[in-house]
Amino acid sequence: MSLRFHWMLPKGGEVSVGTPQTPQESARYRLQATSSTSPAPRPDMKGWTRFARSAEQAGIESVLISFSRYEPDPFMVGCALGQDTEKLKFIVAYRSGLIQPTTFVQQTNTLSALIGGRVALNIVAGSSKAEQHGYGDFLAHDERYARADEFLAVCNSFWQGGEEVDFDGKYYRIEKGKLHTPFLAPGRSAPEIYVSGHSEQAERLALARGSCLLRVADAPEKLQTQVARMRECGVEVCLRLCVLCRPTREEAIGVAESLLPERDIPRQERNVAAKDDSQMYRESSAANGRGGGWLTGTLWAGLVPYHGPVWTTLLGTPSDIAESLLEYSDIGVTQFIMSGWPELDEVSTFGREVLPLVRRAEEGNGKRDA
Amino acid sequence: MSLRFHWMFPKGGEVAMKTAQETSRVLTTKSTSPAALPDMEGWTHFARSAEQAGIESALLSFSRYEPDTMFVACAVGRATTKLKFIVAYRTGMHQPASFVQQINTLSALIGGRVALNIVAGSSTEEQHGYGDFLEHDERYARADEFLAVCNSFWQGGEVDFDGKYFCVERGKLLTPFLAPDRNAPEVYVSGHSEQAQQLALARGSCWVRLIDTPEKLRTSVAHFRERGVEVCLRLCVICRPRYAAAVESAEALLPTDDIGRQERGILARSDSQTLKQALAVADEVGWLNRNLWAGLVPFYGSSAITLLGTPEELAEIFLEYKRIGVTQFIISGWPKLQEMLIFGRDVLPLIRDAERH
Repeated sequence: MSLRFHWMLPKGGEVSVGTPQTPQESARYRLQATSSTSPAPRPDMKGWTRFARSAEQAGIESVLISFSRYEPDPFMVGCALGQDTEKLKFIVAYRSGLIQPTTFVQQTNTLSALIGGRVALNIVAGSSKAEQHGYGDFLAHDERYARADEFLAVCNSFWQGGEEVDFDGKYYRIEKGKLHTPFLAPGRSAPEIYVSGHSEQAERLALARGSCLLRVADAPEKLQTQVARMRECGVEVCLRLCVLCRPTREEAIGVAESLLPERDIPRQERNVAAKDDSQMYRESSAANGRGGGWLTGTLWAGLVPYHGPVWTTLLGTPSDIAESLLEYSDIGVTQFIMSGWPELDEVSTFGREVLPLVRRAEEGNGKRDA
Repeated sequence: MSLRFHWMFPKGGEVAMKTAQETSRVLTTKSTSPAALPDMEGWTHFARSAEQAGIESALLSFSRYEPDTMFVACAVGRATTKLKFIVAYRTGMHQPASFVQQINTLSALIGGRVALNIVAGSSTEEQHGYGDFLEHDERYARADEFLAVCNSFWQGGEVDFDGKYFCVERGKLLTPFLAPDRNAPEVYVSGHSEQAQQLALARGSCWVRLIDTPEKLRTSVAHFRERGVEVCLRLCVICRPRYAAAVESAEALLPTDDIGRQERGILARSDSQTLKQALAVADEVGWLNRNLWAGLVPFYGSSAITLLGTPEELAEIFLEYKRIGVTQFIISGWPKLQEMLIFGRDVLPLIRDAERH
């Protein structure tokens, strides 16, 4: 099977149409995306359509649309953008405590029917306490996973079809549930479900109810056991990471280091990460202690303490990056969701410089295996 | 102020249907009905025709038999420029914060052309399938809290709410409701019960109810208008060059015995007060006055009370409702598209002409 590559959908206003953006400007934009003056809360159809076309051309399969109180609803964005594209799929992030599963399935199915089935789900059990409370969700971390498990159990029952859905759980109760609008996609009757998180509960949820575990990249040897465990149970593993590809390794490192914050910011940013009750944050911040942030020769966590785990960066020349991706393939990773500074330039570079190397190597392996 | 006219959005496949019976509730609630699937071709055609006919909005109904209304509005809204979408939604299915986030995003994507029709619930059976086990009266209490939280988000700033059904602590959403002239959607509240009326008065901008004779409506309409809430009537229209032809067309819509009996069974299971009242009217009188007929209600649902007559008669009747304070109408017809085109061509110009003088 070929590796599958997805990309983060830029936030509103991030793809500055017509004006080139430096990596530093792009990083600054993303750091300010939660401020009330950022354009991120507004849909940006012009920028998004442009990005979506570039992603399609680059050979990217899907875009992940993130969910937070700082951004538009990802489902609606997927619906609008799906109308303006043909191939690109949308991995829509949603939190499980915000909606009844029946309604959620009705929305997902409607969206699938409107955009040729190009929708997958990224189910997130929750976020920071403060944000969850603002959404009316007061469950603690572990209970959120128990609820997410029931939520997906109900959703999967609807997708399995059959006449009616009955469920009597702690968080949800459904009696003779019935929806007439099916999930419509070529070759599928249910969406792929990506479950994110680093906690044990997240892994269990992915195993029980998901099709793929989504986690932040780490060194292949650190991931090997977990990936094998997931794959044995028929669940794929998808890694989140940033990519920084330049003609030389030195240039790539130079750009990466230029994204380190100025002196005053770190403490404040660290506080943001520390407050969170997500295990992903705690783990990845700890990871930074190893070897000055270098997790492998190409994987750098130097930005993580300031900006969070998803800033874990794979950097180097096109062949450095292609080789690193293939190492993940060797241990059983099948998918990647990437991001770059700026998104538009990096996705084009990836499609032009890196992806052909990956595909060529995969072809070679295929022949060798045969 | 000019009267505002909205039209019911056709169900999936309806625009291409040849007979009224195909649009009956019995057939559209079958799992094989095309009503379950989005119909972008039919819908886009209908929406563009509505824009040309002078219709302001389309009402998208919510049920387990149909696609989700907000997504349909998003897709059709992206393919149109003027038509607004009154999106029906039930209040027990979302946290209000994430609901507001969806509505606000939708508003930003389609130039603010979205309004809400808030429904507290439907039949007990359908509500249970959606995971909602509250009784009729409690559903209204919850809807009241739901809209209170939504309205707080639309008023801006941080939202704190500690209610029986919803609790929000320092709620904050950065995507605003974006429309050229509003920072919150119009909120239509439907229902005939006392609780529905109270909800409309407390949290809505407009009360939606079934049409009745002007005499019967006069007092309640005045009551709402005094409190700054508009009144919108749901009705069907059959307009023909002669009165007799309109009556004939209406009677031709009565379905076969078998469908009629099944239809009756579905309606009888609902705990909606609106439906119970409408059925009683249909059984007792049939004709509410010379132009208003409830005879189709047992077969097509409570909203099938039909205003029928010539263009001149209909225009005059709409203006009579205007005189008692009604400001909006949500209309349906058989077939929806053709009747809307007749309305736009023959009735609406007479009304606009009279409103100018």
